[in-house]
Amino acid sequence: MEYNIPSYLLKIADDQYDPAKIKRSKLSFVDKTIINSAKAVKSIYLQAENAGKDYFIQNINPNVKLISLIYMSIVISVVNNLVTQILITAFIFLLYIIARLKLYEVYRKIFFLAFIFGFLVILPASLNVITPGKIIFSLIKFNKPSHFLIYNIPKNIGFSINGFQVVSLVFLRVLNSVSFALLVVFTTPFSSFIKSFKMFRVPDTFLMIISLAYKYIFILSRTIEETYFAFKSRLSGNIKSNNIRRLIGGRIFFIFKRSLIIYQNTYHAMVSRGYTGKVILHSQNQFSYKDFIVLLVIALSGLVFILF
Amino acid sequence: MHIPDGYLSPQTYIPLYGVFAVAVTVAVKKVKKEVSALDIPYLGMAAAFSFILMMFNLPIPGGTTGHAVGSAVIAILFGPWAAIVAVSVALIIQALIFGDGGITAIGANCFNMAVFMPFTAYYLFRLFSYNTVRKARVLFAAFISGYLSLVMAAILTGIEFGIQPLIASSSDGKALYCPYNLKIAVPAMAIEHMLLFGIVEGLITAIIVGYFLRNEPGLIYAFRKGR
Repeated sequence: MEYNIPSYLLKIADDQYDPAKIKRSKLSFVDKTIINSAKAVKSIYLQAENAGKDYFIQNINPNVKLISLIYMSIVISVVNNLVTQILITAFIFLLYIIARLKLYEVYRKIFFLAFIFGFLVILPASLNVITPGKIIFSLIKFNKPSHFLIYNIPKNIGFSINGFQVVSLVFLRVLNSVSFALLVVFTTPFSSFIKSFKMFRVPDTFLMIISLAYKYIFILSRTIEETYFAFKSRLSGNIKSNNIRRLIGGRIFFIFKRSLIIYQNTYHAMVSRGYTGKVILHSQNQFSYKDFIVLLVIALSGLVFILF
Repeated sequence: MHIPDGYLSPQTYIPLYGVFAVAVTVAVKKVKKEVSALDIPYLGMAAAFSFILMMFNLPIPGGTTGHAVGSAVIAILFGPWAAIVAVSVALIIQALIFGDGGITAIGANCFNMAVFMPFTAYYLFRLFSYNTVRKARVLFAAFISGYLSLVMAAILTGIEFGIQPLIASSSDGKALYCPYNLKIAVPAMAIEHMLLFGIVEGLITAIIVGYFLRNEPGLIYAFRKGR
């Protein structure tokens, strides 16, 4: 029996093509885009899931939480003492325990952000070139001090005590700020949190835009994830730079058109429910005695941290 | 570009909050006048689009990938005032939900990326495109506006970092906030954005504006306004 194999099946489509040799880096932009959009969807899910629980911190009035967030952010930014910053770290950790959040998951995120922004970026400041002081670990020794462009280079370069103190202070500040902000975010429904900005006379229109954008982001992130997965499942080999540019431009244009459709649908839905262009957001519930106690505890703690 | 908490002193972040608050109040009024008071969801869409834009990665030389801030392209597509609202909403959501950028630094981040950058990009685009729809010129103008606006915003951020040791140090001279002075912060921010992120921003701006030019040029605000 004779087998007539079609010629196109006998021909290697691309002389460069070899699945084993596909450089993953060439496709990493797809992976990173999927990861980013998945991260957005996951964060929104996680936030909604945690905020909806019936625990002590979750039940505090969102206005109290917003005041606490602003107050504590200022306290953290003005405290310049390392020991006090460590005490603030412990205080926030205690609040996390009371909030009964998934500590490992939340602190992994907190430490990741603090490591990148509060440690890696600031680490060179521990050198005596940037923060002069007594060297505790020498790295390079020159014969004499020199001058390069606008920079003075000392004879001996190394890590200084003052440098370590500066790095530790900035790291703890970033760690504390991020952890307190995420505590509030993870224990408060986003819509209630945004409404609490009314206290500071932020216009209702602006708050409405934030709420709408938040919902659109969720929908559009899902759209990106799905379209990129569909795209990736049909992908093999390397892609030419031209095609990459056309592809990304096309995807963004598609998202824009999709956004326009969602916007028009939202608009029609709002008009059919009586929207006339005037935005009025209803205020939050009144403060309870529990809210006042929480506010007092936070206010006193902040004061102690500043005066310590 | 996103300044975290702990890098800026209150002497810096409080005035920048004030400037941002004024800018966003004017922007909301301007945009409501331009797009009709009924079109609030339009701004929500622009903000979401701005946020989403930052998720798209582009391969860059060296085997890595980068994403744009998106302020330049938003300013060209929606106009600079709408860009103030859209990009600042995106930055606020990023800071509150994802921890990208600090709470105390929201004013500074919004001023740099949502106020300064869109206006710079928009007027650079108008300057270099000469209101023409010739593809090559539009693409060049889009790239330059994206590139230069990001580099200039990065230099502005570098200045905000660099003045910290001057305005907020302890009695023994130790920096209390960002420890890098102007001689370090400004070149560091400028060089990395000139060589890497500026190119990504320029490319993304040119790619998207090019796509809109080819498919629906009527949607580009800079052309609607320029004619």
